[in-house]
Amino acid sequence: MQLVLSWPIRLFVVAVLVFSLFVDGAGYVYRFANHYPLQGNVPGLPPNFGGWQLYFHKGLDLAGGTHIDYSLTNFPAGQSRADVQQRTISVINKRVNALNVSEPEIRGAGSNYDRITVDLAGVNAAQAQKTIGAVSKLVYTKWVADAKATGGPQPGYKPAFTGLTGDDIQSASAAIDSTGTSWVVNVSFTSGGGTRFDQLTTANVNACPGDPGTSQTANCPQRHLAIWLDLTQKDIDNWEDPSYVAKVSQPYDPGCLAAQTADTVCGKFLTDPITLTEIAGGNATISGAFTQQSAQDLATGINSGSLPVDLVALDVTQVSATLGAESVKLSLAAGLLGLAIVVLFMIIYYRMPGLLASLALLFYAGAVLAVFKVVPVTLTLAGITGFILSVGMAVDANVLIFERFKEEVRAGRTITAAVDAAVRRAWPAIRDSNTSTFITCVILGFVGPSVVKGFAITLAIGVLASLVSSIVVTHNLLAIVLTGSSFRRPALLGVDRVRSV
Amino acid sequence: MSEVSDATPQQQVADMIEDGKAQQATVAVREPRVRRLNIIGRRNWFFLLSLVIIIPGIVSMWHNHFLLGIDFAGGTEFTVTFADKPDLATVERAVAAENANGSVIQTANGGYIIRYPPLGAAQQTNIQTDLQNRLGAMNVQQILEVGGTIAGETIFYSILAVVIASIAILALLAIRFRNVPGGWRAGFQFGGSALAALLHDVFVLTGVFSILGTVFNSRLGQIDAFFVTAVLTVVGFSVHDTIVVFDRIRENLRVSQRLSFEQVVNLSIMQTAARSIITSFTVVLVLAAIFIAGGATLQGLALALLIGIISGTYSSIFNAAPLLVVWRRLQPLR
Repeated sequence: MQLVLSWPIRLFVVAVLVFSLFVDGAGYVYRFANHYPLQGNVPGLPPNFGGWQLYFHKGLDLAGGTHIDYSLTNFPAGQSRADVQQRTISVINKRVNALNVSEPEIRGAGSNYDRITVDLAGVNAAQAQKTIGAVSKLVYTKWVADAKATGGPQPGYKPAFTGLTGDDIQSASAAIDSTGTSWVVNVSFTSGGGTRFDQLTTANVNACPGDPGTSQTANCPQRHLAIWLDLTQKDIDNWEDPSYVAKVSQPYDPGCLAAQTADTVCGKFLTDPITLTEIAGGNATISGAFTQQSAQDLATGINSGSLPVDLVALDVTQVSATLGAESVKLSLAAGLLGLAIVVLFMIIYYRMPGLLASLALLFYAGAVLAVFKVVPVTLTLAGITGFILSVGMAVDANVLIFERFKEEVRAGRTITAAVDAAVRRAWPAIRDSNTSTFITCVILGFVGPSVVKGFAITLAIGVLASLVSSIVVTHNLLAIVLTGSSFRRPALLGVDRVRSV
Repeated sequence: MSEVSDATPQQQVADMIEDGKAQQATVAVREPRVRRLNIIGRRNWFFLLSLVIIIPGIVSMWHNHFLLGIDFAGGTEFTVTFADKPDLATVERAVAAENANGSVIQTANGGYIIRYPPLGAAQQTNIQTDLQNRLGAMNVQQILEVGGTIAGETIFYSILAVVIASIAILALLAIRFRNVPGGWRAGFQFGGSALAALLHDVFVLTGVFSILGTVFNSRLGQIDAFFVTAVLTVVGFSVHDTIVVFDRIRENLRVSQRLSFEQVVNLSIMQTAARSIITSFTVVLVLAAIFIAGGATLQGLALALLIGIISGTYSSIFNAAPLLVVWRRLQPLR
């Protein structure tokens, strides 16, 4: 154990101490001086290393906000699922940016690239779902005859995909139409989309030529090009079911579409205009019963791109900011109370070694909090519990050493020899038991459900730091203090009897 | 309680001479103040005590299952407070009148937790409006919605984590203790006994929670992801304590070769009991602090850890090492 007492190790401990004090204290003077809140991300917080700031990152259960797990379904065929998941994440990112959330977290998950988790601080669940799932895919359909189809905008006909979708649109903007009375959405197609649109309108006009204004025969269903949101093959397959069609043909309902599950049927109809003439050049106007808001929402939705897949919300968690603040207060109180109790107990039971162990414990708490800030570890309620618990575990190694120390003194060793023997002999038990806890943490971190992961991370960091604090720091403090002969008194050391050196 | 007669003070001195570390072994060693209890001799009583706790738990798990938390059962849960502070009966009537299969639980601070089967976002809004119409202004503190898929996955991964952690700990102990006399077979005896003590703690904890949740119908006995966290922490802790005892047995086996295996084990338990109890006591203090000050969310977790850690300390002293002795008798290594 000479190594533990060597000067490089002592230097290391002092360096860690200085570093953690710096990190723990960083920013608070600035916050006070500028009347900023004492927690969270504030502008210009020093030290600032290229936007990388030091502060405690709070999880949603402490900060308040919404967490949603989405399942991705209907992957487009022939594309890499990983790519599709990435594209979906970037689309969600663009949409979420409109909400102005600080640090939105959108992560891919799932064994087969089929999950996305979204964490949005300070946003309620309804707003989040509306934004993320909003205005999905614009779909253009033509009409084909189907005698069994009795409902919908064109009875006797059912829609068929034309291959033209929102993905073929370059950009969209909301505008007031030429009459100056109603809102429309102007779209310009990509070059491929423009060509396709040209072909479709030409086919429309050729289906029943003539001027629809004057000739009854010129207004046939095949001359219409309907626009839907999110229309799927399943919807078309159900076209012969009158009640189903009646629901789908309702004007599109963004709220319903955003929250749809496999069983809900939402209104998806946008407009079904007749094509007057062939439209070349790749620009078109979508008119419908728009308000300013709905026209802008649609344009934003088209611009941020359509989701390549369908999203189904698996679970939604919303925590209010007040509950989060309450949780922070309670867990802080519990942590401080726990720490105070442990320190008191150690000092009363083990006297001076207990006091030194308590100092080591403070070193430990400071170092762990610094790690939380630097990494940064996102703190959740479960994570803080893991940290508080690790305070209790951190003294375990000290208790092992001190109990052994008493035994060695009882067995007749000198103080110095007893300290050395105690540390050396307690080490295998400390090593093995902490290894087992660490292994449990690693397994929890990889396998456990997501709530448990935060707990595993903080406990694992705690276990590692407690090893350093209990073995290295306490042992060094003990060795330094015991060089003074006045400290080698049985009453101070909590042992029955001490042999002089 | 009878005394173990073999490990006299003279014996200890002799051990120290063998050890070769003590400088003046002739120094008279005082009889330690710790009374020597014959734990190994009374092992069947301790096994019986464990069974008395575990069997009702297993019966309850078999028969009543558990009170499942929202993350395992699936559903939508609103945590709310009302401005008008209606009493429980009023809220229950209002929720029943909705015909949405809602159920109501009162929380400590006068708020309510109202749970429904899984709702979509649109239905969530409808229910909130409806509740406000019936009960007046409402402050929503938390909404949790867990679909069936996620609930199933949480259960699966929780069980998987316990199984993998158990296997890893068995392997770790077998490796660490293969150097005691008897080699790998001895290593597996040590690992296996530790694993049995660990499963003991898992059964005590899950059993007590099953009884709490289903027989006493207490929200504290709710099984959720926090509970899984508690179980896995207890697994780690229980092994912690057991390793300390086993490590001492390993050391004493080397040092005191004149003692029988039973005597070595008993001596080791006595030597480590103080440490195990003190460590658990400090952790229990911390947990009690969390239980009292930590608020409703953490109470279930703190209670689970309290039960598990007390059980873990008990099992490491009174079950793990005695089991090792039983195993050694059934399968002697020399």
